[in-house]
Amino acid sequence: MAHPHLTRLQAPLASCKRQLPPTFRLTRPISTSRRLYQPQHQHQHQHHQTGNQRTTSPRRTQTSSIRKYHSEHHPELPPHEYTNSQTAILSAALRHVPAHGFTRDALTLGARDTGFLDVSVQLFPRGEFDLILFWLASRRGLLRASVEDGLFETDTRGQRLSVAEKTKLLIMERLRMNTDIRHQWQDALALMSLAGNIPLSLSELHALSSEILDLAGDTSVDASWYTKRLSVAAIYASSEVVMTRDRTPDLRETETFVDRRVEDSKAIGDKLSGVKQCLGFMGSTAVGLGRSWGLKI
Amino acid sequence: MKSIALRRYPFTSCRPPASPQVLDFLAPSTLRQPSCRGFKTTSVTPFWGKSQDSSQQTTTPAPKPKYVLSQKQREFLDSALRVNQAGELAATLIYTAQTPQVVRSHPHLRPLMKHMYDQEAGHLSTFNQMVAKHRVRPTAMYPVWEVAATFLGWSTAAMGREAAMACTEAVETEIGSHYNDQVREILSWQAEAESRGEELDDELKNMLTTFRRIRDEELEHLDHAVENDAKEARPYDPLVNVIRFGCKAAIKISEKV
Repeated sequence: MAHPHLTRLQAPLASCKRQLPPTFRLTRPISTSRRLYQPQHQHQHQHHQTGNQRTTSPRRTQTSSIRKYHSEHHPELPPHEYTNSQTAILSAALRHVPAHGFTRDALTLGARDTGFLDVSVQLFPRGEFDLILFWLASRRGLLRASVEDGLFETDTRGQRLSVAEKTKLLIMERLRMNTDIRHQWQDALALMSLAGNIPLSLSELHALSSEILDLAGDTSVDASWYTKRLSVAAIYASSEVVMTRDRTPDLRETETFVDRRVEDSKAIGDKLSGVKQCLGFMGSTAVGLGRSWGLKI
Repeated sequence: MKSIALRRYPFTSCRPPASPQVLDFLAPSTLRQPSCRGFKTTSVTPFWGKSQDSSQQTTTPAPKPKYVLSQKQREFLDSALRVNQAGELAATLIYTAQTPQVVRSHPHLRPLMKHMYDQEAGHLSTFNQMVAKHRVRPTAMYPVWEVAATFLGWSTAAMGREAAMACTEAVETEIGSHYNDQVREILSWQAEAESRGEELDDELKNMLTTFRRIRDEELEHLDHAVENDAKEARPYDPLVNVIRFGCKAAIKISEKV
């Protein structure tokens, strides 16, 4: 708890605390805590404004900076751009998600756990959606950590995994991270599909599929860069829906679903490349015929 | 006269005065006669790169702190590598489409076309590796550029050898000045790093030498095109202007998407 943000933030909060009656602080049930979101005191009002100012930067670019020039000589960019105090509240709130879902209640409980007032929920202008975004971004960061811990070494059995196998392994690894919250995930999906939230949800999905392919060691540098990311994103998004209804232990049903989708996408890719090859042959044959007739082509 | 020469070059006796080795990397094209340029490939590690490294190792044995790229500089490298990859892809396709028609009517151009194609293919594989290594997004217009470049090469070759060479001239002029801008930008970072007592990391240094080598090879293609009557192309000005405008537009688009 030694971050500078926390101390800066707690100073105005402490002045707020003095204004409030003692029963007003942390003892109220969650159901009535919404009243505090409305500005009642002058101090609180000012605090809301500073809180909003501080959160303007993550509102703009949550995940846009991930896809930039990457080099081993320069530090990896963090998976999200929340400030220290925001990260503390959100991490604590995630512990309440299995019981309370991706709701403002979980956020409020997280703020209380880390010693903030209930009003600090105002640090998150998007409310519950911030909690979902933080969940997605932090799990994406954990995926990289699990690869660094040797995710690919457990299954190698002496031979190296191909990129496709690694991709499948990573998709399943990411889905398994959802195991504890899968009963709450349908609500989150509903929230993510609201019109205003769709752009950020899609950019997060792109960031995830990009990260999966990067970690799997994919080195495509042409148009297949886009098609591969699209297919991984489609496989992941559809498997997530299946996962919310999967009651089997260790997500076995979801795993067979992922296997089938990967095979489908491979079959489609083979068909497309076959068609492209056939068209190329026909074109070069036509040009060769024309040249043999003496046409200037 | 002799005393001035002696003062300026104190080692004239042991070194020919006509080779100012230190300044060569500043303006390589002015020092070489275009007519002397055969089909030569510049070496992968030019001597100035080696000498710079060795001098740094001897003067400062302790490693300097590395220069940290800012967000804006990362964005610059991101779009620069994307544009370079797209440009080399287009160049290989242009030569592929031009070669059969040009070579059929002018068989003596076969070694020249093959030489230029081989160099462009080498550049393309260099940039493909860089794009994969630095996780740069390839341009979304990839299929469009493929079709456009093939059409450009095919149509100019159909207009004759002079038009094909004018196309090479226009494209290489744009590409060469584009590489020059990138080299200048990275050199400005190097100057900034040195003023802070830092140095660029090895990847950036390699990138700088690679960009310089590729720029020189592109300008060599330009000379070959002019030698082979590029200026004789029939509607010279409109043709070259249209191609140069197209190149500029393609560079601008590839920087963004």
